[in-house]
Amino acid sequence: MKHKGNRPVNRARPGRDARREKALNFFCGAAGILTFLALWQLGATYSRFGRFIPGPIEVIPKFFLSFTQPIGVKRMGGHILASLARVAAGYSLAAVTGIAVGIVTGRSRVMNALLNPFIELIRPIPGIAWIPISILWFGTGETGKVFIIFISTFTMIAVSVHQGASSVDPALIGAAKMLGASRSRVFFTVVLPSCVPQIFTGLQTGLSLSWMVVLAAEMIRSEFGVGWVITAGNNSYNMAQVLVGIIAIGIIGLVLANALRALERRLCAWKEG
Amino acid sequence: MKKTLKFHLISILAVLGFVFFWYLMTDVLHRVNTLILPGPVDVFRAFLNKMTNTRPDGGTLPEHTLSSLKLVLAGYSLGILVGMPLGIAMGWSKWFDRFFRPLFDMLRPVPPVGWIPLVLILFGIGMSGKVFIIFFSTLMPCILNAYSGIRQVNPTHLWVARTFGASRAQQLFRVALPSAIPSLFTGLRVALSTSWATLVAAEMLAAQKGLGYMIQTNRMLANADNILVGMLLIGVIGAIFSLILGLLEKQLAKGR
Repeated sequence: MKHKGNRPVNRARPGRDARREKALNFFCGAAGILTFLALWQLGATYSRFGRFIPGPIEVIPKFFLSFTQPIGVKRMGGHILASLARVAAGYSLAAVTGIAVGIVTGRSRVMNALLNPFIELIRPIPGIAWIPISILWFGTGETGKVFIIFISTFTMIAVSVHQGASSVDPALIGAAKMLGASRSRVFFTVVLPSCVPQIFTGLQTGLSLSWMVVLAAEMIRSEFGVGWVITAGNNSYNMAQVLVGIIAIGIIGLVLANALRALERRLCAWKEG
Repeated sequence: MKKTLKFHLISILAVLGFVFFWYLMTDVLHRVNTLILPGPVDVFRAFLNKMTNTRPDGGTLPEHTLSSLKLVLAGYSLGILVGMPLGIAMGWSKWFDRFFRPLFDMLRPVPPVGWIPLVLILFGIGMSGKVFIIFFSTLMPCILNAYSGIRQVNPTHLWVARTFGASRAQQLFRVALPSAIPSLFTGLRVALSTSWATLVAAEMLAAQKGLGYMIQTNRMLANADNILVGMLLIGVIGAIFSLILGLLEKQLAKGR
């Protein structure tokens, strides 16, 4: 038992061991989750929290029902789509400008000196803190939400890409130049590909950040969207609706993160192994 | 040396140029509505005024700042005290990993902001509710980075330790933890910025004090100058936090 942690040599029937390991992982994980759900249900049924919070037996069917019965003006699918559309607008804007600015500041010291102070000024302000001023500037419509997502995600992507662009191996650039590659060729075949891992790091953290920011923006001011589902439930003391919203947020967040990771695995195949 | 001076000069000129342009557009040429975007002079005046004036949001700037700092530090340190050991345990012990990781993977994708209404119902809008939200937002990045830090420890180093007769505890404290320090610091840094952002959100949704409350109240009264003061202060405090952590990391993670 003592040395089980990382056994260097796998003795005796590796296939069977692996299968046993998998089954063990599955059962233990299921036990962990079921214990959590059971504790939640027990807490909801028997403790004083039950007055506020319904148990999973009530919430999980409600989650599925929310796709057929509308909450407010839309069904759950509509709310999810509305939130995703906001993220898509702000995030794609931020990705394009962030990658461009990151590469420019990473490759040119003059541009870096010119732009970096502003990035460093905006960066420490959380996206959520932009919400009040954006409501004042753009009103409560879609533009303000897109702006908040843009401004909070843009700096994060730019900083990450900057790191990649400024640390391209100069020997590679020199070799390409020596072999007669033009400036644009050097850029597209050497500089850009070596930034790809950092671009993805930026895109990944940026995506989960913009998902968080859109929720905050919707919770503070909106008429629909997943964040609205939560606040509306909260305002009408409908905790089941709040929990349904949280489940939806979690699932979408998981899907978004995994989609980007799959894309990264395709585009940066050399990073593995 | 001379070259870096030139680039610093460009940076300073860029910032000065921007502030001058801002001043020109608002206070001199009046191209922008100053109710929506007040000029730099107005913002500075609002900052001085807010240092002593409690109106319109019931607190001076230092009072709001102190209230926010107290909450964030309480929740953050609680989150570290629970999250780091939990992440280390998950990375170190197979059984712990088996039971808790699926549960953890299930709860992880929900951003801390999403839990705010639930926590407010359970704990009320007072101090404890917000501390709990900050605690929760600190917990996830701490667990995540401590876990991956322990997991990435070079197994050869552990084998060497074991060959020389190190006990399991010695392996953990002398080999695994020191080599996981950079990862632990990444966790601390990420956790601090998420918890700061989450606190601002929580204060905007339900509070009677704090910087988030201040900018939200001034939004309702359309005082753009006070909003900008609050935002800039939030940014400055966030920057100071990451500066302190950076210095600490340099001290503790020497030679790594």
